[in-house]
Amino acid sequence: MSSEPQRPGSREVHDYTEEYGYHSDQQSLRLRRGPSRESNQNQPQFDWSSPHEEEDEEGSSGPPRDLRATPLPMAVKRAIRQVQQMQVPVVSSRDSWKRKNAKSLRKLKDSGMGFLSFFSLWSKTLQKIGGNFGGGVQSYFLFLRFLVVLNFVSFLLIAGFVLVPSIVFRSVGAALVNSTGQGACMVYDPNPEGLVVFYNYFLDLLSGTGFMEYSYLFYGYYNNTMVEDQNFSYNIPLAYLFTTVFYFVFCLICIIARMGTAARVVVATGSSTVGDYSMIVFTSWDYGCLGDRATKLKQQNIHYQLQVDLEEESIKKRAAALTLSQKIVLYSLRVSMCFVSFGLIIAAFYGIFAATEFSQVKSGQGQGGILGLLFEYLPSIVITAGNFVVPLLCDQIALIERYSPSTTVIVALLRAVFLRLVSLGVLLFTLWRQITCEGAENTGDCKLCQYNHLLYPCWETRVGQEMYKLTLFDFLINIAVLVLVEFPRRMVVDNWSNKLAQWVGRQEFVVPANVLGLVYGQTVVWTGALFCPLLPLINTLKFILLFYFKKITLFHNCRPALKTFRSTTSTFFFLVVLVFGLGLGTVVMIYSLSEIRPSMGCGPFRFFPSMWSIVPRSFHNLSIITQEFLFFIGSQSFSIPLFALSCVVMCYFVALASVYGKSVALLRAQIKLEGRDKQFLVKQIEMLSRRQQILKQTAGASS
Amino acid sequence: MGTTASQLGKDMLSEYQELTFLTKQEILLAHKRFTELLTKDEKDLPNTRVPMDRILTLPELKSNPFRKRICDVFSTSEYKDGGLTFEDFLDLLSAFSDSATLEIKSHYAFRIFDFDDDGTLDCGDLEKLVNCLTGETDDTRLTPEEMRQLINNILEESDIDKDGTVNLSEFQHVISRSPDFVSSFKIVL
Repeated sequence: MSSEPQRPGSREVHDYTEEYGYHSDQQSLRLRRGPSRESNQNQPQFDWSSPHEEEDEEGSSGPPRDLRATPLPMAVKRAIRQVQQMQVPVVSSRDSWKRKNAKSLRKLKDSGMGFLSFFSLWSKTLQKIGGNFGGGVQSYFLFLRFLVVLNFVSFLLIAGFVLVPSIVFRSVGAALVNSTGQGACMVYDPNPEGLVVFYNYFLDLLSGTGFMEYSYLFYGYYNNTMVEDQNFSYNIPLAYLFTTVFYFVFCLICIIARMGTAARVVVATGSSTVGDYSMIVFTSWDYGCLGDRATKLKQQNIHYQLQVDLEEESIKKRAAALTLSQKIVLYSLRVSMCFVSFGLIIAAFYGIFAATEFSQVKSGQGQGGILGLLFEYLPSIVITAGNFVVPLLCDQIALIERYSPSTTVIVALLRAVFLRLVSLGVLLFTLWRQITCEGAENTGDCKLCQYNHLLYPCWETRVGQEMYKLTLFDFLINIAVLVLVEFPRRMVVDNWSNKLAQWVGRQEFVVPANVLGLVYGQTVVWTGALFCPLLPLINTLKFILLFYFKKITLFHNCRPALKTFRSTTSTFFFLVVLVFGLGLGTVVMIYSLSEIRPSMGCGPFRFFPSMWSIVPRSFHNLSIITQEFLFFIGSQSFSIPLFALSCVVMCYFVALASVYGKSVALLRAQIKLEGRDKQFLVKQIEMLSRRQQILKQTAGASS
Repeated sequence: MGTTASQLGKDMLSEYQELTFLTKQEILLAHKRFTELLTKDEKDLPNTRVPMDRILTLPELKSNPFRKRICDVFSTSEYKDGGLTFEDFLDLLSAFSDSATLEIKSHYAFRIFDFDDDGTLDCGDLEKLVNCLTGETDDTRLTPEEMRQLINNILEESDIDKDGTVNLSEFQHVISRSPDFVSSFKIVL
């Protein structure tokens, strides 16, 4: 195979083209190659062409796609292609038809991908961000883009099934279904009387009251029209219910589908024994880095990461060597700090609780003007303040706890997630307490209508307004922080050259905190979707504007963070946190659907005992066969075999996974043994050749 | 056969599309950027080889610490001077493109990291690799102590047959475990 004689005392430049066994016009080029580098070592030349001989045959009759994936220079590939084309095809007509099909399908796929990439949103911007700031920051923007698309598609869903029919039926004047009920419960008059001062419109826009309250934005405006013609029937309440439920299921499917690729990789790499160092050194360089500044920062990043990992290793070694008394001190410190952080979080919850009660009472009294607006927004203000202050304090606590750096990041994130999502839960809990008179629906103000009709003539609209205010306030705070904190900070750092400014430094784009903000915003939308159907649309616009604002602040004000986030594992983590938020929204939705009586003065469910009860009622309108089929699916004789079958399928996959793991371990051990065999044989060869040389010398000396 | 100065023939274009992972637009953009590097006289010659220092003025390669190795690996020049023809340039972009397979990327990554071109990554290669990654100046390098520990750890993790070097299959084994590699081994014009 080798065409050059091996000179003793020199080292061959390894010839990668020999791998594929093709010696066409490149051969003369190789012979003319410059003298190989001198070295004292005499390295054995690996013959890489033998395992690839079967590839030769494959390459000559396989599809041309294999050619692109061969690591050869262009001229060699062209020569191979010519040889392939000249060869008489020994394939049957069926094979050649299949190959032609595959080729045209591939061309179609390529042009399809090219067409789709035209539609993919912001791809150039994302590439630029990734090149200048790294994969971690890019994963934040990818996540934001995913949420924008998810919200927009959800809005189309809701618009198609609920909004458009409502508009059509309202303009057509379809009759409402009426029923007698308690007169006092049905009083609902959202439109203010008399002249309204013009700045009230602005206040109404911000808090969802006044002209905005009785509009398609909120639940209260939709009617319970049930149209039944000869060929066409449309039941608005049923459509509303099913659309909302399907919206949640759809979001769950999208998130899980997106988690699919990331999860597959995480599970596959989870059980490997290949550690961090090889991974960092071989795979962490980002070839898309543009410019000296980005390159230097990436190098600093890698340096920092390697130092941190090496330091963690030595910390672990030291921790294993701690004496018993030192260990006790450390663990008791950690436990007490845990309690302190929990205490902080609970204090924040109590603050939110008190603020929400106060705000509800005050806005029930109907105070106007700026003070009234302040009272309306009090829960949002307290939540945002808590979300800002408590993580800062938790960071300081984490310094005392002295965990390893990676554990510190994870612990801080989990605390922040917990704080954010459950603070929203506290707000909802306070609302629930007031709507249902603390759960006792037959006491006090709730006796008449099973909900507090004095405070909340239309409680769903009220909840929807709270969610609307949270969304809007979150957005305004983001803009305010950008304009009032980040831009001035950059101007101060760039134009003042004293020590303090340099120590503070430019803003860092902290990915985890920003992602939590997105998850929080999306959770608010999910919680409020049942009560405010246009909230996904508002959220789409909010996220689109947020994308552009964050991009501007990233490029003008920020420097890349020193501590990076691994992009694929972090994407998986973001999606897991998003599922938690979806869970919270689902719990709220299920509870509202089944437990609380809908308002009698407004909305599509006004005369039903609960929102879900429309399903059994409409069920009886279906044909007998469909009813029997649905009963069968819900019965035990179907669900138990289904459950047993899914258990069997799961056991099969678990067994398959363990078998694969075992075969990987076996193959790895085999590679080790073969390497040792190779070394043994090389030593034998050296010994034999030395013995031969000695024999030759003694024979030469004696003759 | 070669590419003439300003125009890329249709048959050449379809041939390049079949032999590389690049789309038509990417090939045309590459041709445009490559001809910008040529001097006026060179534009008329077919198959000119652009010397390495001019290739390294491209912004995508200018600050890459592996730029010299990349040019050396993809160059088909007899004098091993790292000069690239247009077809070498297309090979480079194809290996670094979006749609290139993991095998091709890991193969070329191995060759780029193999500083002494002997087919394996030994301690010297690994040390040069780490220095490229952290920066060449004295204050950005690891201490000799840290370097030794790091190289020991790397060999312990990835040298499966314990011969003191990392060969191509061991390298590809490490790469296959990394989810980020394909997206970071990318150069887009």
